[in-house]
Amino acid sequence: MKIKLLLTICVCFFLAARSFAQATQIKGFVDVTAGYNKKTTFGFGEQDLFITSAISDRISFLGETVFKYDAEEHSEFTISVERVIITYNLFGNHNLVMGKIHTPLNYWNDTYHHGRVFFPTIDRPLLFSASILPLHTVGVGFEGHDLGKIKFGYNLFVGNGLGSSEVADNDKGKCITAAFHIKPVNRLKIGMSYYYDVVSAGADVHDIHYDHQINQHLISASIARFGKKLELLTEATAGLNHTDSTGTKNTLAAYAYAGYKIKEKYVPYVRYDNISYQSGEMYYKGKNVQSFVAGFRYEINYLAVVKLEYQHIENTNAADVDKVTAQFAIGF
Amino acid sequence: MKRTSKPIQLLSSKSALLNYSFLIGCLFFAIAGKAQQNTLTAIGNVSGAPADMRQSELKAVLMGETQRWKNGKRIIIALMKTNTALGKTTSLKIYDMSGDELNKYWLSLVFQGKAQAPVFFTSVSDLQNFVAQNPGAIGIIDKPMASADVRAVMIDGKPSF
Repeated sequence: MKIKLLLTICVCFFLAARSFAQATQIKGFVDVTAGYNKKTTFGFGEQDLFITSAISDRISFLGETVFKYDAEEHSEFTISVERVIITYNLFGNHNLVMGKIHTPLNYWNDTYHHGRVFFPTIDRPLLFSASILPLHTVGVGFEGHDLGKIKFGYNLFVGNGLGSSEVADNDKGKCITAAFHIKPVNRLKIGMSYYYDVVSAGADVHDIHYDHQINQHLISASIARFGKKLELLTEATAGLNHTDSTGTKNTLAAYAYAGYKIKEKYVPYVRYDNISYQSGEMYYKGKNVQSFVAGFRYEINYLAVVKLEYQHIENTNAADVDKVTAQFAIGF
Repeated sequence: MKRTSKPIQLLSSKSALLNYSFLIGCLFFAIAGKAQQNTLTAIGNVSGAPADMRQSELKAVLMGETQRWKNGKRIIIALMKTNTALGKTTSLKIYDMSGDELNKYWLSLVFQGKAQAPVFFTSVSDLQNFVAQNPGAIGIIDKPMASADVRAVMIDGKPSF
């Protein structure tokens, strides 16, 4: 039965792909930075290449590969396959999606991710850099967008959970993502999402070994309004991690960004981040932190952006950090 | 103080009148030319694009929000490059964006894997040929045209908008 189903899917794909002129595009992003935190430092960020290809009238492909610095590698660089997405259009704006995706949990993760030329600030909010969310998921799901008057969209995805490798799951359990959004007026997007996973006892996640099983629920909400002048973006995630020994511990991570276009190309902005972990939290192992960012963005054109930013970070049980960073981000 | 004689004054005022008339004429033609450039027309391949659309439907198509025609054909968008006069008018009038904003909008959508990018052209005739050769294609140009494979799409019952 399973073999028949697989063969039918293969035949459908073959029929959909035949006699179609393939259109493939390669694009990329990279950035260089200069920072000051007790000393001046120069560096460059991830070099991101993404490929899109229309395979047939209904099948499309998107691949994204990042080359980045990694001190542990012999060459000091590592290659990371960030996305491999095969999309099959079922009908209208409804798609079947397979492969490795950016987990559609929040606005930032799904919209910008590695495209620093799109980032409204220099770096990702702490919500994303502190491993609160599973940034990627390998699996299969459905998505739809711009449905009806309120432009409703959805993502339903089943994948290998936390602790899995890129090619196989480490346990029988699967992670589930359900995300919904609406765009009731132009330039406004309101979204909510839910993620559930079971981290098996003995799993390694983000280089940390977990002896106990952890049941994780993530509930996120976001509001994004990028108007002609005013830019507002706020997101919050509540992480509920349950172990038999500690019970359920709550973590709340959030940020709020605001920018104002003085002219078309000049945008001063601010961002506030906060992450609070409940005492006894076993999974995240983080310390409470808050950050203030104030910066200025100069958009030379849609492929070249310069940002200058001051950031103040307050960590619990650690010294405060003050730094100034300049970034030149480009798309090519 | 030197006084100008009456016939000479009359002559110079006539010449000034001619000059002003010429300037006003130039201004009129410039405005008329610009007005013509501000008028847009949608053209579509006969296989896919309907003969009539509402402005809101056209905008949804050109924003990548509607990705298939009613007959199931994938929509392919053809636009003039945003650095051309027609491309600038298209960005402003349909998308309510500057050229850079429009390019960023599409790069972002493509990067998210949400849509296939439009095909951009520098000449109207190339755009027309592309629409003619690609079933499901829709394009924006400055004046109505039709051929065996291309139809002018009426927007809110009008050939231009």
